[in-house]
Amino acid sequence: MKTYISAFLMLFLMAFSVHAQIDRSKQPQPGPAPKIDLKSPQEFTLKNGMKVLVVENHKLPRVSFSLTIDNKPETEGTKAGVSSLVGGMMGNGTTSISKEKFNEEIDFLGARLNFSSSGAYASALSQYADRILELMADATMHPLLVEDEFNKERDRLIEGLKSQEKSVEAVAGRVGNALSYGVKHPYGEFTTIETVNNIKFEDISAFYEESFNPNNAYLVVVGDVNFKKIKSQIEKRFGNWKKAVDVQSTVPNAIPNVQYTQINFVDMPNAVQSNILLTNNVNLKMNDPDYHAVLIANKILGGGFSSYLNMNLREKHAYTYGARSGVDADKYVGRFTASTAVRNMVTDSAVVQTLKEVNRIKSEPVSAEDLRNAKAKYVGDFVLALESPQTVARYALNIKLNNLPSDFYETFLQKINAVTAEDVTRVANTYFKPENARIVVVGKGSEVLENLEKTGIPILYFDAFANPVEKPKFSKPIPDGVTASTVIDAYFNAVGGKEKAKAVKSIWTTANVTIEDAPFSPIGEMKTMIPNKTSLEMSIEGMGVIMKQKFNGTTGYTEQQGVKRDLTEEQINDQKASHTIFPELYFEPSTLSLESMISINGSDAYKIKVSENGKDSFRYYDAKSGYLVRVEKTTEVQGQTFTTVEDFGNYSPVKDMMYPYSISVSTGPQVVKMNVTNHRVNEGVTEADFN
Amino acid sequence: MKKCLFSLASLLLFGVFANAQQVEFEEFDLDNGLHVILHQDNTAPVVITSVMYDVGGKDFEPNRTGFAHFFEHLLFEGTENIARGEWFNVVSSNGGSNNANTSLDRTYYYEIFPSNNLELGLWMESERLMHPIINQIGVDTQNEVVKEEKRLRYDNAPYGGFLGAIGENLFKVHPYKEKNIGEMEDLDAATLEEFQAYFKKYYVPNNAVLVVAGDIDKAKTKKMVKDYFGAIPRGADVVRNFPKETPITETIKAKAYDNNIQIPAVIAAYRTPSFKERESYVLDMISSYLSGGKSSVLYKKLVDEKKMALQAQAINLGQMDYSVFAILALPLGDVSLDSLLNEMDEEIAKLQTELISERDYQKLKNQFENRYVNSNSSVAGIAENLATNYLLKGDVNLINTEIEIYRSITREEIRDVAKKYLSPNQRLELEYLPKKDDQ
Repeated sequence: MKTYISAFLMLFLMAFSVHAQIDRSKQPQPGPAPKIDLKSPQEFTLKNGMKVLVVENHKLPRVSFSLTIDNKPETEGTKAGVSSLVGGMMGNGTTSISKEKFNEEIDFLGARLNFSSSGAYASALSQYADRILELMADATMHPLLVEDEFNKERDRLIEGLKSQEKSVEAVAGRVGNALSYGVKHPYGEFTTIETVNNIKFEDISAFYEESFNPNNAYLVVVGDVNFKKIKSQIEKRFGNWKKAVDVQSTVPNAIPNVQYTQINFVDMPNAVQSNILLTNNVNLKMNDPDYHAVLIANKILGGGFSSYLNMNLREKHAYTYGARSGVDADKYVGRFTASTAVRNMVTDSAVVQTLKEVNRIKSEPVSAEDLRNAKAKYVGDFVLALESPQTVARYALNIKLNNLPSDFYETFLQKINAVTAEDVTRVANTYFKPENARIVVVGKGSEVLENLEKTGIPILYFDAFANPVEKPKFSKPIPDGVTASTVIDAYFNAVGGKEKAKAVKSIWTTANVTIEDAPFSPIGEMKTMIPNKTSLEMSIEGMGVIMKQKFNGTTGYTEQQGVKRDLTEEQINDQKASHTIFPELYFEPSTLSLESMISINGSDAYKIKVSENGKDSFRYYDAKSGYLVRVEKTTEVQGQTFTTVEDFGNYSPVKDMMYPYSISVSTGPQVVKMNVTNHRVNEGVTEADFN
Repeated sequence: MKKCLFSLASLLLFGVFANAQQVEFEEFDLDNGLHVILHQDNTAPVVITSVMYDVGGKDFEPNRTGFAHFFEHLLFEGTENIARGEWFNVVSSNGGSNNANTSLDRTYYYEIFPSNNLELGLWMESERLMHPIINQIGVDTQNEVVKEEKRLRYDNAPYGGFLGAIGENLFKVHPYKEKNIGEMEDLDAATLEEFQAYFKKYYVPNNAVLVVAGDIDKAKTKKMVKDYFGAIPRGADVVRNFPKETPITETIKAKAYDNNIQIPAVIAAYRTPSFKERESYVLDMISSYLSGGKSSVLYKKLVDEKKMALQAQAINLGQMDYSVFAILALPLGDVSLDSLLNEMDEEIAKLQTELISERDYQKLKNQFENRYVNSNSSVAGIAENLATNYLLKGDVNLINTEIEIYRSITREEIRDVAKKYLSPNQRLELEYLPKKDDQ
């Protein structure tokens, strides 16, 4: 019997000491969903119209008071900045308490009290609740607005504006708002040193008188208070705030979205990253039936780490620390944005990939998994937010500010869960409008513009204050003595000399080819023979040759997936006129001109224009190494022009000459990369290869 | 009887006070050395699982800076049971939030979930410690992301080079001289094997603390913690032997340049004791005295009355081995950096010779009471405080008793500490200047 018991005990103990009871290869499943308990605040309205919401929460001995005055947004025009000056001046004394005493007392209580142009926020330990409320009310109704303080605040605002002058982020925000909404809209206008200098002291009291009234005011109290007691205190402190005559004003319309996708470029020479912001205005309010579906669509596109944008730009391409999108639902005008900050070199690619992802959510149905995950995230965020007593108050206030149905938050999760994949596609097409979007790019023009132009998206230029400007010029000064012919000479010196180049009759190149977003990686075989014969074959293991392109000196064709097309007469003439091996050997000096010095991938390069047969092409030679690093050609096919850019790098020797081992060819957004495994010079190539 | 009543009443009062403040917690160690702290609070259906590792920017091999921060990226790449790129999906598809951060002293990871996903949080953190995938793809991807982070936060951000410039001038031999994010050349040169070795050295259960806080059942949580973390093998103890700095006896003058600013700044920075030391608490109070609120000495004088500065700020940046006490100001208009420095010195000299007023002393105490109440207002805040107090300060219960330290600091101590640590010959004077195009 005894042994039984101890064996039983042993088993029992083992169950708790052996860890292998769990299967860690499987993700644990959630337990039953926790109950959500959404409380409502207690409310009352003062005679003067101020509405008060109170959330009692006694967990910690503290309290906060938040005053929101829901005035319609207004433009300040030539005096932009007056509202922020008023916000800065308020909360610094009252007509009966000096500034020094006032600020000292707030600090002495260990409390906080801050004003903005449309409200105030105070927090304190609950033992000081009534006093901080009294100070807040006094500062709201009887602020100390004096000229000396006005001058100080104005100087500080100007200095603050100066301190932001070189901030790429600040400029991007300002220009983005201004271009999207228009500078005549309250959301688009901005403060400058000039507008601040236009503001007079009288403007301050005028703004205060007009804005700080109880008519549209909401006071939200959260914390360790007793409703009855705080109600009577609020009535006492704010009861004699005088109601004003209601001013009827209308909010101007935002400017319409643009007719076509365009890049709006702002040059900031100090930028080491480009700020990219795709923006279009939308008509979306929180009480629209589409609202919940838009939230889900945005969550999937760019609302979190696992979103389309972030997974592409950060996790797949490592262009950025983060990429996000957002939709502002707003009573007056809403806005859709997709934004990121990327290193200079990949600015163009990031623009292309951003567009691609926005278009993807419009054209491809979202997966069941993405949809489920987005909903789960909303449910989770909703639950997590309930930890803070401020949440209940914020919800109640939102209902009032946005004219929402009273059960908006009670039904919120239900509506989120009802969103379908079709809803997502539909609202993505209604609200995400890349075809009518501006892509505001703020960055270092000398390093990013060349590539941005290659995206084929029209570019308009603006200064840091959203004024249209001419395209900036970025050419660096060309050093003395450098001419087109010295650049070509340097090139030959670098690759091994003219005489050796002349001895090259054929080249046979094998390369591993990668095509962006293609699921396969073909092998490329390229052969050329003087003067102009070319052959290109791409093959995939198991599938054989999938693509051919041949020219034998007189005729040629392309063949793709069994379809053969002869070269047109124009293409034949072009091919005939060109030289495929060291064309530099054949350039007439009169056809070459040294255009400029620009930066390619961080190194200076000379740009040489070659004008042959009535066509211009551009060749770039590295200023230091002498190597050819880029060739740019424009061709016209059926009325559309395509610019093809070939980049060369990683030069290594073959038979005493230097050849590039990495080649990348891009046409618009399409990029084909070739990693050369072998260059064979003067061997293995016959005339038959070109038929 | 009367006396009894009185003491009962005071007990009651004390009880009310303590209830509002006291953070209850329970601690235990697993056999593998993992320290575990549980804090139960069932008022909201929220739970946080967090792990703090005793590894930070100061821990690196020669010419391999930035490893700790790099790991904060790398350890989201995936584990044996969480596929690459899935980490964030797992969290968000279960309604959670997560993040991580690194300082020179420690690395901190956490997930916050609705409380029905406690087990998921424990699983994820145990996966991260037990068998993360550290491979070349992950290293290459995160290398680029970290570079973007550096451009975003440091190279393209106004005043983004502040801390780096202070660190490299204030420390000569201690690894605090390096930037937390590290040198990009170091990260570029690092091999996969070096990353794997770093993991093996620092990411061991005996070098970490796990905190589970929020809507939990303690008994069930304990069992789950043992199930998920128990099988992770203990590692070698981490031994550090950082060189000690010799005290600064002569003012260090330095300049740093920033491409993204128009307005210069002047910084006086002092090397001060570890945040474990009582003197560091005193310096916290001194920084509040100088710049906490509009009635503080520096704000009132430099920003408000004399209109010399756009901003003036004192900070006590608490760290494990040495803290940094810094006062910085941005001039308004043509005010010279030297004159700002002189004004700062005048206030510090007063602190060193006179006692602050009784009223200011009471004000400081009230400010710290307020700060204390707010510091434990969310389970996330409580979890981080518990982890920090255990791992870096050596006393978990500081979460309840730290306020006592502030309450006990006297005016005389404030004067003495200012005198001991804040003299001009003990500091770095850094001019942080706009970079001209030709620089």
